[in-house]
Amino acid sequence: MVEEKIICIGCPLGCETNLKIDDQGEVIKITGYKCKEGRQYVLEEYRSPVRVLTATVLTQSSARPLFPVRSNRPLLKTQLKEAAKALAGVKVKPPIRVGQTILSNLMNTGVDVIATDDLTY
Amino acid sequence: MEQMETEVLIIGGGVLGAAVARELSRYKVDVILVEKEADFGWGSTKTNMCIVCQGGDTLEFRPEYHRSKLVWDSIPLMELLCQELDVPFKRVGELALIRNNEELGKFRKLKSKAEKFGLAGHQFIDQDTLRQMEPNITREAIAALYDPNIAIVDPVRLTIALIENAGQNGVKVMRETEVLNISQKGNQFEVGTNRGSMKCRFIVNAAGTSVDKIARLVNSDDFVLYPIRGYVGILDKNLGDLIKHEIHMRPDAPGQMNILTPSVHGNLFFGTTMQPARRGDYSTTRRIAQIGLQNVRKIIPDLSEKDIIHSFAGFLMFRNWEVGWHECVVQASRKVSRFISICIGYPGVSAAPGTGREVAELLRREGLRLESNPGFSPFRKASPNFSKLSEEQQKELIAQDSRYGHVVCRCETVTEGEIVEAVRRGATTLDGIKFRTRAGMGRCQGGFCTPRVTKILGRELGLPEEKITKKGRKSRLLLYKTKELLGGEL
Amino acid sequence: MKFSDVDVAVIGSGPAGMAAAIKAKEEGAEHVLILERQEQLGGLLHQCVHNGFGLLYFGQDLTGPEYACRFVEKVRDLGIEVLLETMVTQISVDRKLTAVNSREGPIHLQPKSIVLAMGCRERSRGQLSIPGTRPAGIFTAGTAQRLVNVEGFIPGKKVVILGSGDIGMIMARRLSLEGVEVKAVVEILPYVGGLIRNEVQCLHDFDIPLLLEHTVTQIHGEQRVEAVTLAKVDKNKRPVDGTEQNIECDTLLLSVGLIPENELSRMAGVDLDPLAGGPVVDERRETNIPGIFAGGNVVHVHDLVDDVSWEAEIAGAWAARLPQKGDLEKKGKTILRPGRNIRSIVPQTISDQSDVTFYIRVKEMEEKVRLRIGDIYHRAFRVVKPSEMIKVDLLKKELKRLKERTTELDVECEKGE
Repeated sequence: MVEEKIICIGCPLGCETNLKIDDQGEVIKITGYKCKEGRQYVLEEYRSPVRVLTATVLTQSSARPLFPVRSNRPLLKTQLKEAAKALAGVKVKPPIRVGQTILSNLMNTGVDVIATDDLTY
Repeated sequence: MEQMETEVLIIGGGVLGAAVARELSRYKVDVILVEKEADFGWGSTKTNMCIVCQGGDTLEFRPEYHRSKLVWDSIPLMELLCQELDVPFKRVGELALIRNNEELGKFRKLKSKAEKFGLAGHQFIDQDTLRQMEPNITREAIAALYDPNIAIVDPVRLTIALIENAGQNGVKVMRETEVLNISQKGNQFEVGTNRGSMKCRFIVNAAGTSVDKIARLVNSDDFVLYPIRGYVGILDKNLGDLIKHEIHMRPDAPGQMNILTPSVHGNLFFGTTMQPARRGDYSTTRRIAQIGLQNVRKIIPDLSEKDIIHSFAGFLMFRNWEVGWHECVVQASRKVSRFISICIGYPGVSAAPGTGREVAELLRREGLRLESNPGFSPFRKASPNFSKLSEEQQKELIAQDSRYGHVVCRCETVTEGEIVEAVRRGATTLDGIKFRTRAGMGRCQGGFCTPRVTKILGRELGLPEEKITKKGRKSRLLLYKTKELLGGEL
Repeated sequence: MKFSDVDVAVIGSGPAGMAAAIKAKEEGAEHVLILERQEQLGGLLHQCVHNGFGLLYFGQDLTGPEYACRFVEKVRDLGIEVLLETMVTQISVDRKLTAVNSREGPIHLQPKSIVLAMGCRERSRGQLSIPGTRPAGIFTAGTAQRLVNVEGFIPGKKVVILGSGDIGMIMARRLSLEGVEVKAVVEILPYVGGLIRNEVQCLHDFDIPLLLEHTVTQIHGEQRVEAVTLAKVDKNKRPVDGTEQNIECDTLLLSVGLIPENELSRMAGVDLDPLAGGPVVDERRETNIPGIFAGGNVVHVHDLVDDVSWEAEIAGAWAARLPQKGDLEKKGKTILRPGRNIRSIVPQTISDQSDVTFYIRVKEMEEKVRLRIGDIYHRAFRVVKPSEMIKVDLLKKELKRLKERTTELDVECEKGE
C-alpha cells in the first residue's frame, strides 16, 4: 500500500488530501477533503491528472517570431514537457485563423494542437 | 586598433575627464579621451546627488584647501557652461534645517565662515518663513540657514554634453577602452589598453575610483585615497512637489549625511550613509537601505518604502586626514613629468569647470603648448526632449520624423525618436539609453520599455537583440532565443 | 473620424478596455473610441498564452489571445473606433484628453465621458530595495513573459523567481516548458501569493521548489546576475541570521505585486483609494470627476480576467448613458468602511439604488469567518485569503434594506461561522 498527497484546487481552501492506494492502484481511502466536490476532484486527479498544454510555436511571419497554440484536449501532465519539446520544431506559415489545427495527433495521443490567435501576414 | 598617437591622453570619461577634454578643445591640441565603460559618466558621476554646491555648506571648506579653491573657481562658470551646453541647471537654494540651539550655533559659525569667504546670500530664516517655503518638512525644524545659490544639474547629461562639445571641437573619444599598462619611452608614454596601445606625451589621469591605480602604473601614486561608499535613493515623481529646495539636515550619527533634494527631472533624491567599503563593490545592503529611509523620514516623516523607486551606491575617493579628509588630488606628479592626476572626492561635479581650467594650466606648465583653437565653439545642442516641448514644436518634430510620435517609455514619456537620436549620438546600451533619454528611469523602472528599447537598439546598431547589453561588457540582457533550449531554431 | 464628437473614450484595450467599449456601444453610445498604446488591441492578453481565461465569462477555458480575439471581433463588428500606437499623455479635470501618435501627432479630444482602463503595472526591484549589485538579468515576471512569449527571447537558463504571484508561477511553468531550470520560487509569506490552481499546476507539476517564508537578501554579480542569497524570514518578515543560502543563477524574476496604473487618473484630479490602489468609485464605477469612469485592474487588481471585463462593462454602460442623459441623477451617498480583516472594497461608495457588484479583498488568511456589509448582507466563508478576491452581487431590492439615513457601512470579517 502506498500513500499519495493531492492538493485540491476546487476552492481557496486548498485542502491537502491523503490517498491510501492498494497494490492494484485502487484508492482505498481519502482523508483531508472538506466537501464532496473536493473528494471527486481528488479522485480524478489521482486517476488521470490531465492538463491543457499551452505553448508558442515559431513562425515564418514577418510580423512576429512566435505564435500561440494549445492542445484541443488535455494531456497527461507527465507528457507536457515532451509535448513542448515536440512543438519546438514546428514552424507555422500565415495566414492562420484562431482555432485552426496546427498539428494533428500530437505524439500519437489523439490530441490536436490548435491556433489560439489570428496570424494574417 | 592601429598604433595611435596623440599629444594628450585623458584617462576617464567622468565629469572631470570630460571637463578637461572640453577645456583642452579650446586649444590646438591633439587629445584622446578613453573611457573603460560603454558610456560616459558611469562611475562616481552617475551616483552623484546632482547638487552644485558653493563650498559654503559645510565647515570642511577652508581657504587653504585646494579643493575649496576649485569649487569657488567653478561658481561663476557652471551656469554659463550649462547654458552653452544646453543642459538643465536649476538654482533651487538650500535650507539647512536647525532643530536645536546646538545646531543653531554650528550654523552660525558656518554662516560667518561663508561670509568671510565672500559667499553671499546666506541668511537665517525663522520657523514661519520655513513653513511657508517648505510646508511638508518635519515640524522639528525651528529655523533654517538658507543659501539661495545652491543649484542642481544632471551630472551624466552634463558629462555627455561636455564630451559631445569636446568632440565637435576635435577631441577624439574612445569607449570600452581600459588602460592596462603605461610605460615611458623617451619623452613619450606608451599606453597599453584592451584595444591595443597608443603613444602620447601627456597623460591626464581622471580615472575616478581607479585614479590611484592608474597612477601606480607609472609609479606616481604619491597620494593615498580611501574609497567611501555612499547610498542614494530616488523617490517617485508623484512626490516631486514635496519640497522646493535642497534640504540638508545635520546627521545624527557619524558616517552619515542627510540630504533630500529635487532633481532637474522632477524626482527627489535622498542621500545618506558614508562608509569605507571595498572599491568597486557597488552593492547595497538591507541595513543601509533602512538607515537611508530612517534618515529621510527625519526630513519628511510620512515617507514610506513604497515611495522609493530606485536606490544605488556610489563612491567618493577621500584623502587621509593628514592631508585633510576633504582635500583633493589635482596635481602634476612629482616623480613623472607630464603626468597629471585629478580626483576631487567631493564635490566633483561642482568643481569640474574650475578643474578643467586648472588642468590646462598644469599641462602648460608641464610643457604643453596651448594655442587657441580658432574653430572652437562653446555651444552644443541637446537632443529633443519630446515631453518638454510645446505642442507646436512637437508637431513640427513629428512632421520631420514620425518616430517622435511613438511613445516607448510611458512613465517618462520618451519617444522612439529620442531613443534613435541617443543611439546616433553614441548610446549602445540599455543604461546608455536610460541616462541619455530617461527611458526606464521612471516608476516602473523599465518594466514596460525594456523589451522595446532593446529592440530599437538592436535595429539601430545593426545587432541581434541577444547582443544588446545593460551596461557593456558581459551584461547581456537576453541570453537565448525562445525554443533554442529545446533544440528549435528561431 | 472627427475627434470632436467622441461620446465615450476608453483608455486601454485590454480585457477591461475592450469590454467597456463594447458595452458602451451596445448601450447606445454612438461614437466610442479606444486609445491603445500598443500596435494591436488586447493589452497584456497577447503575452498570456496560458489558459484559464474566460471560465466564468464565456464558460470556456481559453488562453489570453483567444480571450482577446473574441473581444476584438466584437469591437470590429460594432464599428468601435480604434487608435493604435497612441499614448494618452494628459487628461484634465474637465475631461480634455491629449494623446499622441506618429500619424496624427498631438491629438485633442473632448469626449462626453471617459473610461479609464489602463490596467496595472508590476512592482519593480527598486521599490523592494533588494540589496546587492545591479547587474543585467533582473526582470519583472511580466516583462519576462513578453520576452519569452512574444519577442522570442529567453532571459536566462537558471532562474530564481522572487514572489509567488500568479504571473511568477505561470512564468515558472512557461520557462520549465521552454527548457529553463527554475531553481526556486521564493515567497516571503507563509502561503503563495497567487491562486492554488497555479501553485499546483505551475509549481508542483514541474517539481519546482517553493520556499515559503524566505526572501532574497542579496543579489550577486557585477555584469550579469551570478547568484542570489536566500534567507528564511521571521514573523516580521525580517531575514534570520544563519539561514542564508546561495543559489547560483543567471536570472532573477520578480513577481511581487501589481500596482494599478493611475498616472493619468491623478492628472485628471481623480481621487485614489490607497487601499485598493485605484480610483474611488461608486457602484457605476464613476470617479469623483463627473464623466470619468474606471473599471478593471486600474481600480484594483483582480484575480480573474473575467471580473476585469465584467467590472469594466459596468463602467462602460454608465459611461454610455451619460452622453445620452446628461448628468446622471444620484441619490445620496453611502461610504463603505473597511473594518476587521478587510484590506479593500470596491466600490468605495454607493450613491444610488441600483444593483451593485462588490469586490472585497481581505488582509490575512482566516478560516471560518462571516463577511458582513453593514446590516444588508452577510455570508459565511470556510476560508478567506488575500490571494482570492471575494465578489458580492447585491440586487437593487436587497439594497432597499439600506436605511435612507445610512451614510456609512462597515464591511468586516467576523470570526466564527
